[in-house]
Amino acid sequence: MTGNASQMIRLMAAVSLLCGLLIVGTEINTSARIRHNQEAIMRESVAQLLPGIEKQIIYGIQPSGELVILPNVETPGPRFFAGYDASGKFLDVVIEASERGYADVISAMYRYSPATRTITGFQVIDMKETPGLGNKIGSDAGFLENFKQLDATHPIGTVKHGAKKNPWEIDAISGATISSRAVGRMLQKSVAEITPAVQRNLDRIQRGQ
Amino acid sequence: MDQPVSCHPATPQQSTPEQTMTAFTAGLWKQNPVFVMVLGMCPTLAITNSVRNAIAMGLATTFVMASANGFISLIRKLVPKQVRIATYILMIATSVTIVDYLVKAISIPVYKALGAFIPLIVSNCLTLERAESYAGRNPIFKSILDGLGMGLGFTFALTCLGTVREVLGAGTFLGFPLFGPNFEPWVLFLLPPGGFITLAMWLLTFTLWRERAAKRKKAREAAEQIAVEAA
Repeated sequence: MTGNASQMIRLMAAVSLLCGLLIVGTEINTSARIRHNQEAIMRESVAQLLPGIEKQIIYGIQPSGELVILPNVETPGPRFFAGYDASGKFLDVVIEASERGYADVISAMYRYSPATRTITGFQVIDMKETPGLGNKIGSDAGFLENFKQLDATHPIGTVKHGAKKNPWEIDAISGATISSRAVGRMLQKSVAEITPAVQRNLDRIQRGQ
Repeated sequence: MDQPVSCHPATPQQSTPEQTMTAFTAGLWKQNPVFVMVLGMCPTLAITNSVRNAIAMGLATTFVMASANGFISLIRKLVPKQVRIATYILMIATSVTIVDYLVKAISIPVYKALGAFIPLIVSNCLTLERAESYAGRNPIFKSILDGLGMGLGFTFALTCLGTVREVLGAGTFLGFPLFGPNFEPWVLFLLPPGGFITLAMWLLTFTLWRERAAKRKKAREAAEQIAVEAA
């Protein structure tokens, strides 16, 4: 019985070692490509929200509120992208945000204009909302119309479809209220967390330093 | 129990080229994992709301099955019966982890679309069933062919479901619009009930097809028998 057990343990250890080596080998060989893909998707989204962009700088916000320039998109923590045109003129910033939706976490990016303190663009990066209903938050023309000039000086909120009265309100999609409300909460939290640092450091961001 | 009991046959099985080829073709049609064995229903219903997702999941499963079957067959004579399931799961999980990295490296949008279903290939009963009933008892080449055949059969079935669901539910095929702007998509087909309805329609179609083929074969054999007796 002892021999039997030791043979089983030896076999399992050898198989585990082999499997571990295979996984580590794959991780080493694919990690650079995965990083490249993630960065490309992020930068593409920023370019779509800021047409005419030629250069972008990623700023991280430190706990003290100070800004630091991040070398790549992998660095964790609160951050935003500042976009500049070919002449080096500052365009606007693009901010990442996420919030729990109906099925899973919704990740999005939005364009924020520090000059007018408004949100002027919105794009969903990742979601698993119900096809044909909740996932309309990424494509419904009427819903996306909300983000052409959304006032960010007031707490942003979502109202029932057709009940929008104020420029800081989001008109929900009929039949996708939970996902629409998640977008409202996401923007409200993100604006409160990120935009004060943008406004405080606007001179520096405009100079691209 | 003094010696561990191996789960493989005592003598290697000799097989003809036809039998080797059958290992590949069986999974494609006669033993199709979805339409005949009705295995792997979770990904079959969950990710077939678009053709692209269906093909990606099918190919990922094919890679897992072929590589896991190969590993398992390679060490089948060394694995004691008592730990064979644990060993199989370990090898299947390793193949799935490798696929997870590869899909992420090839296309992040496809990786995001497949979501949690790539890691869940580990718990797809189809992979463990083939490991236990085939790869643990057959030589490496036949086992890899069996994995490839079953995986491609699974891909075929997923693509059949994905085609119906995407065309009716979104009016597109592989993302390309098929109908004019006035087409009103039948969203139900993209939702879980649409998955069940489509699966039921395909199962019915294949069952009727197989029954008709069996009847035709029986009638042909009877006719041949009568001809032989008359001669």
